[in-house]
Amino acid sequence: MAEVNLKNLTKKYGDVVAVQDMNLKIPHNEFLVLVGPSGCGKSTTLRMIAGLEEISGGEIYIGDELVNNKDPKDRNISMVFQNYALYPHMTVEQNLGFSLKIAKVNPVEIEEKVTEAVAILGLEDLRKRKPSQLSGGQRQRVAMGRAIVRRPDAFLFDEPLSNLDAKLRTQMRTEIKKLHQKLKTTVIYVTHDQVEAMTLADRIIIMREGFIEQIGSPIEVFNNPINVFVATFIGSPPMNVIECEVVNQNNNLFIKIDQDVLMPCPPSKKDKLEKSSKVFVGIRAEDIVPSENSTDLEKKGWNFEKLIELAEPLGTETQLFFKLNNKEVISRMYNPRVIQVGEKIKFEVDLEKIHLFDHETEKAI
Amino acid sequence: MRKKIKKTLYWFLTFLVMFITCLPGIWIFISAFRPNAEILSKPANWWPDNWTVHEFTQMFSIEGYVSVPAFDYLMNSIIISLTSTVIAITIGMMGGYAFARFNFKGKNKIFLSLMLARAVPGISLSLPLFILWAKLGLINTSFGVIIVYVAMNVPFTIWLTDGFFRQIPKEMSEVARTDGCTRLQAFWNVELPLAGPGIAAAGIFAFLLSWNEYALASVLTRTIASKTLPIGMMDYLNEFTINWAGMCAIAVVMIVPAVILTFIVQKHLVSGLTFGGVKG
Repeated sequence: MAEVNLKNLTKKYGDVVAVQDMNLKIPHNEFLVLVGPSGCGKSTTLRMIAGLEEISGGEIYIGDELVNNKDPKDRNISMVFQNYALYPHMTVEQNLGFSLKIAKVNPVEIEEKVTEAVAILGLEDLRKRKPSQLSGGQRQRVAMGRAIVRRPDAFLFDEPLSNLDAKLRTQMRTEIKKLHQKLKTTVIYVTHDQVEAMTLADRIIIMREGFIEQIGSPIEVFNNPINVFVATFIGSPPMNVIECEVVNQNNNLFIKIDQDVLMPCPPSKKDKLEKSSKVFVGIRAEDIVPSENSTDLEKKGWNFEKLIELAEPLGTETQLFFKLNNKEVISRMYNPRVIQVGEKIKFEVDLEKIHLFDHETEKAI
Repeated sequence: MRKKIKKTLYWFLTFLVMFITCLPGIWIFISAFRPNAEILSKPANWWPDNWTVHEFTQMFSIEGYVSVPAFDYLMNSIIISLTSTVIAITIGMMGGYAFARFNFKGKNKIFLSLMLARAVPGISLSLPLFILWAKLGLINTSFGVIIVYVAMNVPFTIWLTDGFFRQIPKEMSEVARTDGCTRLQAFWNVELPLAGPGIAAAGIFAFLLSWNEYALASVLTRTIASKTLPIGMMDYLNEFTINWAGMCAIAVVMIVPAVILTFIVQKHLVSGLTFGGVKG
């Protein structure tokens, strides 16, 4: 039952900056996801909040309390690790009750709380087992149970699903989401998997090299990426980003999206592009629509024709690969049919759905 | 067929190696239970004609006469070995943990110098040690020997337990700490039980080293109240005679507790205890 507040949080290893001046307020009950490529400082941030990593500068508040110099045990947080870190010499129920035993809670109460946690996570039949006798998913569940039992102010998850296979990961993802709805506690969740981030988060933070690139709800971040990095990181397949020249013909602005192919500049961005000679164009795969599937709105947009170099059928959709300005581009074809390599396909693009990024700063225009 | 030959050969070679290894031990056992005269007889008498426990009864004064006070030596050995092992393990374990988990200035150099300390042959220290111990009044005391054995065992214990603590994922202690443990509680409740096999191994090594040590003990102890079994064995060495049977008998007294202890601790040496705690 607490908000977590980070003020100018900094972590340095010698001269290497892992996290730089991070300011963040995580309100009570929020599910916050830190996402980014490896080495971006997301795990370090989490470990600093947990108290497992010393901080080089700044302040961490949990509730109203400054916890900078507090031991992990006094911060009332629970952490779930990627490799589960269950106590191998204890049974499931001993694992779950360990924190309470350390806190000298009386055995009757421990039994009650363990029983409750076991029920929430469906571990009733496994109480007497040792971790080595559990499957990966069950271990992960025990690790979460151990975190729940303490009733912490905040849950910290450090890539908890990375060790599970794809199917189990999807299942556990749903369970974590449900758990959060049931427990109503602040959750800080670290992952490098953008799908996890999108599905779980109330708010996503995208980090790179120790800095926050963008903060926002999953939809905000997806629809309005602040720069090329965020645009290509969030969304699967990643957004197509093509380096293009800006061409002025008879006072009309065009973007040269391919050899001899000119795309009209989106009307809303016209004045911002006037002074640039080059630009990065970002189009999501689902916004390059084969005209046989396109809606009326898209038909009013702009279209081009291209030879298909590769088609990957995925069942619900087929991903079509071709090149624009020598850069591989993916289009998603819903309601797929069989596509031959070398087939010429007409694509429609709603110009208001494309993203433009400054050539110098890579920031959204 | 070929497989069978291979298997037979394998068993034969194993037997041969084991036989060669155990032969001196077997010879000691046999010789402990026969009269000295028979040991010295020529040609050698491989299997005793007369079995006797004479040396044992004398040694433990069951016949009212004590040849060599083996019981006192046994007690000295037990006290010195156990005490020095417990102290060395306690200190060494904490040292090993520190080397495995913490970063501090000069860590590698300190570790290296500990290992180098092991490389110095103990006997080269005997003279300075004797002079120092004599001045401190530690000659002929169990305490004096215990200190020496602790010093000998600590570096090795550190080295061994360091390796075992490194094998325990550091998340174990981290998760315990977020579960409400202090660092010491995390060590005591989680890491120590997991390092159990390693500590047991270190314990055996330390105990056997103290139990069998001769060179330094022979310099530092010369009274019944302080001599250990290996030194006591030399009591059978007289000016003109050597009582081989007695020596073998006291050797048996030395070997048996060590073997029993090793068997007991060996059970706890099961590795792979940490399996399952983290993703394998």
